Amino acid sequence: MKNCLRELRAVRRWSQADLADRLEVSRQTINAIETGRYDPSLPLAFKIAELFENPIESLFFPTEGSAPQS
Amino acid sequence: MSNTADNRKSASDQARERAALRDAVPAFVTLLVLQGSLILVNPAGEPTGWYLLWSLSPLVPALWLMWTQLRGLRRADEYQRVVQLEAMAIGFGAALLLSFTGGLLDAAGIGDPAQSLQVTFIGAVLVWVSALAIKSRTR
Repeated sequence: MKNCLRELRAVRRWSQADLADRLEVSRQTINAIETGRYDPSLPLAFKIAELFENPIESLFFPTEGSAPQS
Repeated sequence: MSNTADNRKSASDQARERAALRDAVPAFVTLLVLQGSLILVNPAGEPTGWYLLWSLSPLVPALWLMWTQLRGLRRADEYQRVVQLEAMAIGFGAALLLSFTGGLLDAAGIGDPAQSLQVTFIGAVLVWVSALAIKSRTR
């Protein structure tokens, strides 16, 4: 899954630690999400969406081939 | 390394580290003291009942350390738990491989089983801690 967390964070001039503080997680977790090494759980994704006042689907989007086949 | 705004630890990181130190340091010091006393005081002659108890006493701080690990895992956030789980899996695999190697060497009559047990324990812990350090790196 891809995300635009880094861009949204940059707009607000927050460091990874600032965002981590607001989400009550480690900076390591923010780094892993931003670099695409980790997809957050739904509760954390909702928390991120609430913080940035954006719907989840505008923050996280599937990479090619990761979407479920219908 | 300087602690700039970009690479500083988050409040939850700091709280977790403080709590981990508060939990683990007394247990580790107790383990060192008991282990040291066992090395320094080696009774002459046949070991008695009290010495057997004493020789098993490091198990108490070892269990204490295990409990601190559990507490640390409960305090960790979701990504840190995944990282810890992967590091433990690698450490567990290393323990299996090392004990299997020790068993094969023992069956072939090579080496000392007591030494291979120590190598297995220390090796597995080192692999676990190294895997955790590598997987915890930020890019």
